[in-house]
Amino acid sequence: MDFESVGTPRFRLGIRFNRLIVVLSTLGAVLIASGIISFVAANWQGMPAMAKLFLLIVGQTAAYWIGYQLQFVRGYPRVGEAIMFTGAVWFGANVFLVAQSYHLGTDNPDLMILWFLGVLPLAYLARSTSITVMAVGIFTVGISWKAATWVDGPESAFLVMGSLFLTAALLYSIGMLHLRRANLKLHAGPYLISGALLAIGLAYVLTFNEVFEDTRSLTILDFQTLSGSYLALAGILSAVTVAALVVAVRNSDNNAVNPVGRYAEPGVVALVIAFGWFTATLPFNSIALYVTAFNLLLVLLIFGSIVLGIINRREALINVGIIFFVIDLSTRYIELTVDMLDTSLAFVVGGLLLLGVGYGMERARRQLLRQFGITRDHGTEANNDA
Amino acid sequence: MTPNAKRLFIAVIAVQIVFLLGLVGYRESILSLGRTAVLETVPVDPRDLFKGEYVTLRYEISTIGEGPLAPQKNQYFLEGEINEGDTVYVNLTNIDSDVYRLFVQADKPSPYADLYIKGRATQVRNGTVTIEYGIEQYFLPEGRGKEIETADDVKVRVSINRSGTAAIKELIVDGTVWRP
Repeated sequence: MDFESVGTPRFRLGIRFNRLIVVLSTLGAVLIASGIISFVAANWQGMPAMAKLFLLIVGQTAAYWIGYQLQFVRGYPRVGEAIMFTGAVWFGANVFLVAQSYHLGTDNPDLMILWFLGVLPLAYLARSTSITVMAVGIFTVGISWKAATWVDGPESAFLVMGSLFLTAALLYSIGMLHLRRANLKLHAGPYLISGALLAIGLAYVLTFNEVFEDTRSLTILDFQTLSGSYLALAGILSAVTVAALVVAVRNSDNNAVNPVGRYAEPGVVALVIAFGWFTATLPFNSIALYVTAFNLLLVLLIFGSIVLGIINRREALINVGIIFFVIDLSTRYIELTVDMLDTSLAFVVGGLLLLGVGYGMERARRQLLRQFGITRDHGTEANNDA
Repeated sequence: MTPNAKRLFIAVIAVQIVFLLGLVGYRESILSLGRTAVLETVPVDPRDLFKGEYVTLRYEISTIGEGPLAPQKNQYFLEGEINEGDTVYVNLTNIDSDVYRLFVQADKPSPYADLYIKGRATQVRNGTVTIEYGIEQYFLPEGRGKEIETADDVKVRVSINRSGTAAIKELIVDGTVWRP
């Protein structure tokens, strides 16, 4: 049966069948690797050092070799990619297992960053979207975790969140750059989604009064008190992001992308950079001003995700916007009704409202996707945008 | 995959392996070539981790200073300014035995130091410094945490290399070496 006949119902069936192959293969490969790693971990103390090293390194290398053979030589790209993915997971497990065997703290974000550095090049060489998703996910979690370890008080929390805004902008701009190169397009989605999630998540956290009320004084921080190393780090992040945006705009196809699509997206990213500096410096002495500013930013980012997702035909970006819209709506509802209504009544009314909103949004989403020609299958596989 | 990409692919895998071997080699070199010291621990806190069991070790030298939070038996002297995040060197023994105070200072070890350990100041408050040395966790076989938790006296034998980096060699529980 020919599953690659584009434009026929068989095409969709083919995509679903391919996804099933990927899911099954990945699950199988991960289960085997987990079993071996658990065996090594459980018998760690009783095994000779060389046997441990042999099992860990040979297992990881074998996964890569089998993955390579299947993906590039034998013509089983999906199963091969799944096994390659397992090799990348195996490398991460090995990093943590070796750290654990020498009693190094495994609650250490540096290990995640090392894991990320080890697997990112593989994602590109193997042209694997799943390894890119994993690598960018590890980076986002690792860098956020690392940033959290720097927090030792309310003031430093704002510095850390400021740098995370800049990181979000950088991730998104890297995604935009990837979209401009045909051979890198398949890696763009994870960067765009991680950047959007990080920026919207941070904006959401900063919409609460309590976050600002914890600070001893809102005017402690200004440009003068930012350390030289922080200024250097933030400056480099901002400069690289701006450079990436300029290159992305220059390389965008004038005919294919309308002016809104061409300039709105970099504009929103630039705004996120500005909010990064705003968060780090907290230049005003008014909680109301901050809460209002971050609420406005959150609304802008939510609707920006949805609108840019529609314009640029990226289903995942639309979903991120919709998810945060529902989260924000629910939060505001709880904030409003917590003192006004009886708890049980509030839950019932809230539940009904959410169901109604969910129904309406599902309808609207379907309509939008149909209107812009993004079917679930085509949006993710055929376009490969996000 | 093009021949160049294939070569790069092999290089990346080789780098991963070299990194893992390097990590193992570095820790092994500390254990085999470093000087050993026995560190006192104060209450240990067993916890479950999803991938096994470990105990959290707090050493006598984890909190150093003159405040009530510093319960050490030895007399330490905080030399110069120490800020949060600084790399800190703590003397374990002095070259001259007449110098009874053990110096703690940032950036470089004290000139009086015979054996010193390197850590990172995680908190500086009221003249008391909390320091982490990277040896605060000891991983155990499943279900053995209680043996450590119920012991009266737990010490840790560490191996320390020339730059002051420490690695746990073994636990000494109630006077005898604890075998996992």
